[in-house]
Amino acid sequence: MNGKVGIGLRRDISKEILESTVLKPNFLEFAPENWMGMGGYWNRIRKEAVEKYPVTCHGLSLSLGSPEELDWDFIRELKVFLDENQSSIFSEHLSYTKSRNAHLYDLLPIPFRKDAVDHVVDRIKRVQDFLERPLAIENVSYYTPVAAEMTEIDFVNEIVEKAGCKLLLDVNNVYVNAFNHKYDAREFIGKLPLDRVAYIHMAGHEQVAPDLIIDTHGQPIIDPVYELFEWTIQKMDPVPVLLERDYNFNEIEQLQSELDHLKSIIKTHWKVTYESPEGKTSSAEPSGVHMATENKDIT
Amino acid sequence: MKLHKDTEKIQNLLGDYCRTGVEQDIPGITPGRVHHYRRLVYNVVRDTMDTAFPITLAALGEERWDMLVQDFFSGEQPQTPQIWKLPFEFYQYHANQETGTRIEKPYLDDLLYFEWIEIEIHTMPDRPFPDFSQTGNIFKDRLAFNPEYEIVRLEYPVHMHSAENTSELKGDYFVLVFRSPETGNVQFLNLSGLNTYILTRLVDERIALNDLKGDIAHVAGIESEKYLDDALSAFIGDLIEKKLILGFAKKTN
Repeated sequence: MNGKVGIGLRRDISKEILESTVLKPNFLEFAPENWMGMGGYWNRIRKEAVEKYPVTCHGLSLSLGSPEELDWDFIRELKVFLDENQSSIFSEHLSYTKSRNAHLYDLLPIPFRKDAVDHVVDRIKRVQDFLERPLAIENVSYYTPVAAEMTEIDFVNEIVEKAGCKLLLDVNNVYVNAFNHKYDAREFIGKLPLDRVAYIHMAGHEQVAPDLIIDTHGQPIIDPVYELFEWTIQKMDPVPVLLERDYNFNEIEQLQSELDHLKSIIKTHWKVTYESPEGKTSSAEPSGVHMATENKDIT
Repeated sequence: MKLHKDTEKIQNLLGDYCRTGVEQDIPGITPGRVHHYRRLVYNVVRDTMDTAFPITLAALGEERWDMLVQDFFSGEQPQTPQIWKLPFEFYQYHANQETGTRIEKPYLDDLLYFEWIEIEIHTMPDRPFPDFSQTGNIFKDRLAFNPEYEIVRLEYPVHMHSAENTSELKGDYFVLVFRSPETGNVQFLNLSGLNTYILTRLVDERIALNDLKGDIAHVAGIESEKYLDDALSAFIGDLIEKKLILGFAKKTN
């Protein structure tokens, strides 16, 4: 899967993914919450997807930053789902989605504070132990800090270090946060432990004010984010890369062109081989610019 | 817990604001930006409810519907981590709050449940199907039923009439809701009280139609056996055609 390019399995495009000759991801990402405990038509779609594609899972509701106790009934079900679907990676957001025992269904920013670091680290460790697999935590986009006592980069790094977990590097989120909070995206990425990155997310966003971008997952990736991605992957080993799109699925060809664009950048810097739609393979030698380790054969 | 009380309090203030829309004094935020969180959170919930309950939304109108969603999200503590199940909590909340009575829409509970049950039947975990054969006698042999169904009892016939026209039609109504084994699509069938009685006993007691005919004749006050046989043949034939009845149960079931 390393160096391969996938897309999130959304119900709106499930038919295109399974039947279309246009859209050809290398792997699929499931949000477990959207598929767990489901029978009937959608269960058939899920099974078909698992038969056709390798799978990663990206959680929405674990709420690692919440004050209240983890929902162990949910985590038990989650473990079954991850096993059933042979998910090679499980990732979650470094955020909280639950407050006063009420789910909020969106990602709220955890205060960048030492006690929150310790709290989240403890929870990540317990989840990893229970799931018997490493957790990759995603740097989330945020629109305002909340009562911060430390920087975002120190907050993320300390959690990854202390929890011994992996990192899901969302390159678009770094771009969004750098724009919203006026810092240098490359400098931020340069300070991350890139050897801990297990997975990359790429997405589009929407600028809603001269000084504010919202991470919508509804638009195509913009060139500066592709450029940031290209800069980033030269500094690290190959990992799977996911195109996130949650809505605006009108142009399937356009989604495939984004996948192709990502592949073309990857092929320049990582040694990777892709199956073409005709079953032929295409590959390219990496430029070798600033590779973190020796090139590896990717299967 | 490693989290300090003041950090917990700050997190809850942001959570409270997102749920209720009532501004909170949240420390250390960038002015003019926190409202995006309320907007994003509420949009997700509102969109989920709009998608789940299009008929109720149309019946109540935009303003009143939004009031119901706001009331639910600020008054309830949503428990499911799976947002597609949230419409059921929405239905339960308004049934418990007797919202239908309060806003003088007595059909509200039934309409919300009727819309929810389509989602539930469509998505519920697969149930084990019985072994069955295609040949048999509908009176003498036990029938094999598609297990993926529910019989819903309604007080207002929201499955037959536009909701606003049901307020004066309070009574006992039954709807068979089932999932097609082939397509997974959900189908609805209006049932009379007598047909509900027949269906329930055939399934619950695992008996053949002949074993039930005496009781049916008694309950329905039917004296003509031919009339009863014809009516039962038509009813069962319809259920076979619609794939609620799959065939005839094998002895091992």
